[in-house]
Amino acid sequence: MVNDPIHQFRIHNIFGPWNIFGFEIGFTNSNLFMGIIVAVITGFLLLTARKGSLVPGRLQSVGEMWYGLIHNMVDNVLGEEGMAFFPLVFSLFSFVLVANMLGMFPYFFTVTSHVIVTASLAVFVVALVIVVGIAKHGLGWFRLFVPHGVPMAILPFISLIEIISFLSRPISLGLRLFGNMLAGHIVLKVFAGFVVSLVALGLGGIIGSLAPLLMAVALTALEFLVAALQAFVFAILTCVYLNDALHPSH
Amino acid sequence: MPNPRLDTLPPRNYQERALKRDFSGLFERGVVDMARSVDPKGPKTESDPKFGDISARLNDLSTRLAAEKKQTAQAESAPKQYQGASDYSKGYRLISEFVAGILVGGLVGFGVDKLIGTLPLFLILFLLIGFGAGILNMSRAANRTPPTPEELAKMPKPRIDENEDK
Repeated sequence: MVNDPIHQFRIHNIFGPWNIFGFEIGFTNSNLFMGIIVAVITGFLLLTARKGSLVPGRLQSVGEMWYGLIHNMVDNVLGEEGMAFFPLVFSLFSFVLVANMLGMFPYFFTVTSHVIVTASLAVFVVALVIVVGIAKHGLGWFRLFVPHGVPMAILPFISLIEIISFLSRPISLGLRLFGNMLAGHIVLKVFAGFVVSLVALGLGGIIGSLAPLLMAVALTALEFLVAALQAFVFAILTCVYLNDALHPSH
Repeated sequence: MPNPRLDTLPPRNYQERALKRDFSGLFERGVVDMARSVDPKGPKTESDPKFGDISARLNDLSTRLAAEKKQTAQAESAPKQYQGASDYSKGYRLISEFVAGILVGGLVGFGVDKLIGTLPLFLILFLLIGFGAGILNMSRAANRTPPTPEELAKMPKPRIDENEDK
């Protein structure tokens, strides 16, 4: 089927699969694009920082904006002591942003359209919150689940809700990024498919295909915006969650 | 020893001006502004003989203020076209928080049931608690929506060692 909108998300082995400890593991197209993403980020940032002049040129400005955006965000949300997390947040943001943007190229694979990738990133963030929180505050960190000024009678109930609410963070964080990318790409593909099917109908179809064509163009612009916005949202929610690790009382 | 800052821009303005690539006339600008305010070729209409110069200057000022107001109004209305996508992402954020709460509640309940072997009991209980957690998540997300890139750009720049000047 030519117009299969799900086909673009199929994972296939490029090399392998090899049998490693009884698991079938191969080098897939997803792996390839993860490698490309890291190469693009590293290459681009090295290129922009190559000159290191005091008054930045065009390219260096882009690199500085990229860095400055995340620097501002971490500074505003986490403050001075949270700067230790800056490399992490910057890496996460860069990875998600470049993955989303590379996914917008035709025939490219969108790494973030697979829930296992986004969920892994999200679970890593929340696990880090727990580890850092306990390392910094000891058992006092669990005050996070005991809100102030709640009557003793309903406190266990509220704590349970708070715990479930905390546990739902990786799900919502990962699900949102995955859902946005998946839905956007499918919608784009479906509208593009309409154009092809309508053109095959003849002259009337060609005229009629203008509407989905315009829609596909508009959606492409929207998808670029969503790609950037979701990377930003992922990074800022990481900061907000890490804030709970540093300051558990709220 | 000459101040190293004299031939560079002050740190607070450094980033913005550099990004706009507006290096020309940085230092003349103040002079130009002063010169413009006493520009004899300015709009000098119906000047009162008594106040002569002053009313001309007032006229000049009000026209310039109007122009500036128009400019800022245009600048503020520009990002409106992105509003739709931003609202969409806010809505998506709220709904994903809600769904995640219910999903996790259901999963925890199902897990407890599998362990103890009381299948429907804890699933139902934790689904309800998950529903509560979803509402809590959603209300928190609505009250503490993370700032958009535009809002973040308006926030103060990172502090740059202010003791250095003293």
